Amino acid sequence: MSLAVCLLGYGFAVAVFAPDVLLRATHSGCAPRMGIRLWVLAIGSVLVAWIAAVVLAAIDLLLARGDLGQVLAGCVAILHAAVTGAHGTPVQVGLAALAVLVVAGLVVLAARLGGALDRTRRHTHRHADAARLVGRWDHALGAVVVDAPDRLAYAVAGRPHTIVLSRATVDALDEPHLQAVLAHERAHLAGRHHLLLAIIRALAATMPRITLFTAGNRELSRLLEMRADDAAAREHGRRTLAEALLVLSTGSTLPPRALAAAGTAVADRAERLMFPPAPEQVRATRLRLGLAAIALLIGPLLALAQSGLCDAVISI
Amino acid sequence: MVGGDVRGFGELEGVVMQHLWAAEGGATVREVYEQMRQDRQIAYTTVLSTIHNLHRKGRLTREREGKAHRYRATASRAEYSATVMREVLSSGGDSEAILSHFVGQMSEEESQRLQELLRRQAGEARA
Repeated sequence: MSLAVCLLGYGFAVAVFAPDVLLRATHSGCAPRMGIRLWVLAIGSVLVAWIAAVVLAAIDLLLARGDLGQVLAGCVAILHAAVTGAHGTPVQVGLAALAVLVVAGLVVLAARLGGALDRTRRHTHRHADAARLVGRWDHALGAVVVDAPDRLAYAVAGRPHTIVLSRATVDALDEPHLQAVLAHERAHLAGRHHLLLAIIRALAATMPRITLFTAGNRELSRLLEMRADDAAAREHGRRTLAEALLVLSTGSTLPPRALAAAGTAVADRAERLMFPPAPEQVRATRLRLGLAAIALLIGPLLALAQSGLCDAVISI
Repeated sequence: MVGGDVRGFGELEGVVMQHLWAAEGGATVREVYEQMRQDRQIAYTTVLSTIHNLHRKGRLTREREGKAHRYRATASRAEYSATVMREVLSSGGDSEAILSHFVGQMSEEESQRLQELLRRQAGEARA
């Protein structure tokens, strides 16, 4: 098990550091064949390390007949001994180096995440500022109106938060529909959706290999749109909102990619508004999600508590 | 009005910029103040701090003119407009501005689906 932990640490360190190092080395294309071998070696070693780690851990668990606490206690004991030099200095030094790399890797990841979040914040605030300068503040609407050929309507966080409409949008919608759109955007700002989106987007950008983050990014965007739809529909009516959706999406020249992260599956949203799901369907979905939540949280907690992990750790 | 409603402050920056864009050769704080006073109740210190803020944010440059400064916009209105529009169209990439669009262009299938939904709803309304 201690070996499994070391392998995991090794795999993690390589996954964090190797890409930058290798990119710099192979970027010039001077020795492509060797570059290929290096990349394959790096990727392969990470895969092998992780698979081996899982296999070793499984074997340890089987041998201990499922007593996770005993396995972990043994693992901690071996690592403890190795770190204090019981298995010789080379092992001690190696473990120390590995530990340093793992910690450094975590720090690097955190720094990347922080950097991405900071950049997003700065760009967003700057856009809000610029939109306010370029457009004209409409006091009645509580939004900035910009001259643009497209039917734009969006919210951008900043100091202060700003809702931007294009003149084309204001011309295309009458008062009730405009208010519905504004309510939708205000719901985004009030719910701080931009914060959530910023975090998940930074995670997906920093660790794109983790599908949980990339898929989560897409799905969260979609669901947040629906949530804002619900808030606006409560105030102004589903039909009005659906009609606004239709009016503004026809004749829009915004490329789909620009909204990929905003996840506007327009037809889905319109259908939801025009033909809301039956109560049984809502109940069934809620049940499914509730069970998933329980499984996510309770399962591991119960297993750990039951296996006496806490005792094992405390006994060191 | 200084230190008051933040929303109002943001609006002021826009108004001040309009005046500065319109003024050929830039303007001093007093000149902008005189112009703004014609449309609204505003204090000289408010105009001063708004212009200071804009200068601090890099929207304005200034040069000394006697005891005062003459302020000029760093970019034309058209350039700002272009930047804003560019971001609106390209947002969605990592670590760029987060804009919550209400809706955008539909794909062909979505458009068809929408027509279908409308027909369905019209049909149900009649029934």
